[in-house]
Amino acid sequence: MITNVVGKRIQRIGIQQKVTGKTKFAADLDIPGALTLRVYRSPVAHGIVRKIDTKKAEAIEGVVRIFTAKDIPGKNLYGIINRDQTVLADSKVRFIGDPIALIAAENEKSAEQALKALEIEIEELPAVFDPLEALKPDAPRIHEKGNLLFTRKIKRGDVEKGFSASDIILEETYETNMLEHAYIEPESGIAYREKEGRITILVTTQNPHADQAQLAAILGIGPENVRVIQTETGGGFGGKLDMSVQPFLALAAYYLDRPVRMTYSREESFQATAKRHPLKIRMKTGATREGKLMAVNAEIIADTGAYGSYGIAVATRAAVHATGPYEVPNVAIESKAVYTNNNWSGAMRGFGVPQIAVAHESQMDKLADSLGLDPISIRMANAFKVGSVTPTGQTLRASVGIRETLKKIRPYYEKFSREIQETQHPLPQGVKLGVGVASMWYGIGNTGHPNPSSAQVEIDETGKITLLTGAADIGQGSDTVLLQIAAEVLGVGTEEILLVRADTGLTTDAGATSASRQTYISGRAVYEAATKAKEALLKKAAEIFNAPSSLIVCDGGYFYPQYREYQKIPFGEVAKRAVQADGVIRGEGTFNPETSSLDPETGQGIPYTTYAFATQVSLVRVDSVTGQVSVIRAASAHDVGKAVNPSNVEGQIFSGVAMGIGMGLFEQFFPNKTKSFDTYLIPTALDVPEVTPIIVEDPEPTGPFGAKGVGEPALIPTAPAILNAIHQATGRWVNRLPADLETIRGLVPPEEK
Amino acid sequence: MNRIPITLLVNGEPYSLAVPPNKTLLEVLRDDLELMGTREGCGVGACGACTVLIDGVPARSCLTLAVDVQGLSITTIEGLAEGDELHPVQEAFVERHAIQCGYCSSGMILTAKALLDKKKRPTKDEIKRAISGNICRCTGYAKIEDAIATAAKKLATPSK
Repeated sequence: MITNVVGKRIQRIGIQQKVTGKTKFAADLDIPGALTLRVYRSPVAHGIVRKIDTKKAEAIEGVVRIFTAKDIPGKNLYGIINRDQTVLADSKVRFIGDPIALIAAENEKSAEQALKALEIEIEELPAVFDPLEALKPDAPRIHEKGNLLFTRKIKRGDVEKGFSASDIILEETYETNMLEHAYIEPESGIAYREKEGRITILVTTQNPHADQAQLAAILGIGPENVRVIQTETGGGFGGKLDMSVQPFLALAAYYLDRPVRMTYSREESFQATAKRHPLKIRMKTGATREGKLMAVNAEIIADTGAYGSYGIAVATRAAVHATGPYEVPNVAIESKAVYTNNNWSGAMRGFGVPQIAVAHESQMDKLADSLGLDPISIRMANAFKVGSVTPTGQTLRASVGIRETLKKIRPYYEKFSREIQETQHPLPQGVKLGVGVASMWYGIGNTGHPNPSSAQVEIDETGKITLLTGAADIGQGSDTVLLQIAAEVLGVGTEEILLVRADTGLTTDAGATSASRQTYISGRAVYEAATKAKEALLKKAAEIFNAPSSLIVCDGGYFYPQYREYQKIPFGEVAKRAVQADGVIRGEGTFNPETSSLDPETGQGIPYTTYAFATQVSLVRVDSVTGQVSVIRAASAHDVGKAVNPSNVEGQIFSGVAMGIGMGLFEQFFPNKTKSFDTYLIPTALDVPEVTPIIVEDPEPTGPFGAKGVGEPALIPTAPAILNAIHQATGRWVNRLPADLETIRGLVPPEEK
Repeated sequence: MNRIPITLLVNGEPYSLAVPPNKTLLEVLRDDLELMGTREGCGVGACGACTVLIDGVPARSCLTLAVDVQGLSITTIEGLAEGDELHPVQEAFVERHAIQCGYCSSGMILTAKALLDKKKRPTKDEIKRAISGNICRCTGYAKIEDAIATAAKKLATPSK
């Protein structure tokens, strides 16, 4: 298909404002007379709040009001999947940082003094920080229902038979660690009560409509009385899917006749928001001597910390993706999300798939190593193709680009390998080079649940086009991509369309900006909306030209009958006549990809309509004396269906490799210890090598112009590719993240250094 | 707390104000001068989002006291373009798709400008070193490095 706007490197919408500093993030919004909010947080990991005395704090000059659980007018319970989190503790606190009281004050100083003057007594309870300990019968009980939040099972074929038919069986354990999203913009928002009584919140978020629903329940009012407007958002990576400042802003605005504002310090952002689930994985893999996978059996334990958040989704995704993008006839997976008194874990770029990929991709390389196969060949021998059946029993019908990504990576694998052989000068003592490969698959959208999106395209009598979407652009570029899709359908430029986005007062629900779903799902909703609006115009043009509408061309801002371009009439003229006759044109678009719920016992079902696929290769340098690992070069091939904006896709790939280097080599969050970027190191420009992004386009028939998604896939193969390269360099496997200085120094015995 | 009268020279404009001695340059820029393009990312000098130029040298405005920079020339992101005409570094960031969320961009662009003022044709390694104190979680730096190299070429070619 020839396209004019889709597939082009259109400049990001809003980049002129970003480059000149004019973009307004939530913390930049001017709201005169706003009160400052601060939260008193639990200093203990597990306890019962016995007493809250606010008298002394309330007496401090400038303190306007102090709120506790009893002030919550609706339900003091929220959460994105299972509602188990309190806005302000009603009796129990479950991690260091759990909110207990909210202070509204005229200024920071008064709020700070009030925090110190609050008299709060907590009876400390025994706490548990390890999910395996938390599962023991005598473990401290964190939630009433017990510490096991959720179990996901997937069963297909007969694993015992599969292992019996295997020539080689490998059983290993893997551990991944707790990570922080580390978007550079801390959580921030403002709120006020409108004259008519509606509470309006402008906030950095990935999830405006879900925020609205949760806030309405907390306040005990109808959702129409809460308006959430997403402000320009400085990164999210899943961390801004859960609410942060929203309930505090809403509660204060509900009671006080004053606007309020709240911005987390970086320390509070570290302490009080979701983390990446650490996973403990035991994986047993059986294969024939030719390297054909026969069986995979895995047990997965995810530490969801104090609250559920996205824990159920993470445990499910880790299970669904546990085999990797390979045909495995016999599968038995059990994946559990377990409460502990650690910081709560939630969504972070990939929902458990980056973690499980460490296991399945290490297993593939271990098999290859034992069987004397090269890493690309063993993957190619097992990789999905059209017609393959996944562990959940789904037959893949189209857009299965994994083999193409392997083909595209092979020359880089060979080039990097040659580079090692051709390294002439002797390397310093203890330094070795290695090449590592890893692949991944990633289901686009919510797992086994409906996840609809909606959008509208309006055209008025002047020909002005407006695209309305609830999708929150958090920096990844959905605004630009959605405009490109609408512009392509309507045959105009993106600059001719006005965008209204992510405002629950003006736009309908597009679902969360998560699960790499906005291009595919909201993109398709926009495609449908624009197509319907175009059809109304085509009908009018058909009348004007006295020709069937199927023979009318809409392109380059004009309408004309096929082969009679000389008769062309401007888009605006046709719009004017159509609106005069029938009123404002409004194209409604919705899309909800086909999914079915997974069977609770066997996990059989259709978790997603479509999947993204990728393969990455990294050349690394391992210094076993200092322990330092550097990625020297990487190439990453991603099947995105169709790159609506290739620059955006490349941007995601570069970004994912960088984040994966942090995950693989040094990032580590320690509850109650990690408080700043001084101790939580994220990759700088010096840590990130030259990366070659490779775009594979195996079109998805249900996607807009064939598009799928890339946001999370970009990250997933990075850490396992590095671990496999470390093995090639040193002959040693690293089964636990991160492969930090200490790990690497201890990896190679002194006599080999 | 006592307020100290100071005059700050920001983007070529003198501003006379009275500030507490512990007020940071970041706070003065945002609260008093309403120059909101300078962002706070961490407040402890670890992320670089609040970078401004002081006499042409990149500095963390969150760690700089306003009273200490009297009489020095301060450049913020708002001072880079001339009217509607973007600075070549800004132009290059637009052309090379070097921005995603944009929260680190003000500091990143100013750090790049300072590098190019000092070094006409920086190597890739020099670019990486120059921006290594400015962290970005979105872009993976590749397009930022590309934009800085592009800006260097633009600056080397006399315009018009």
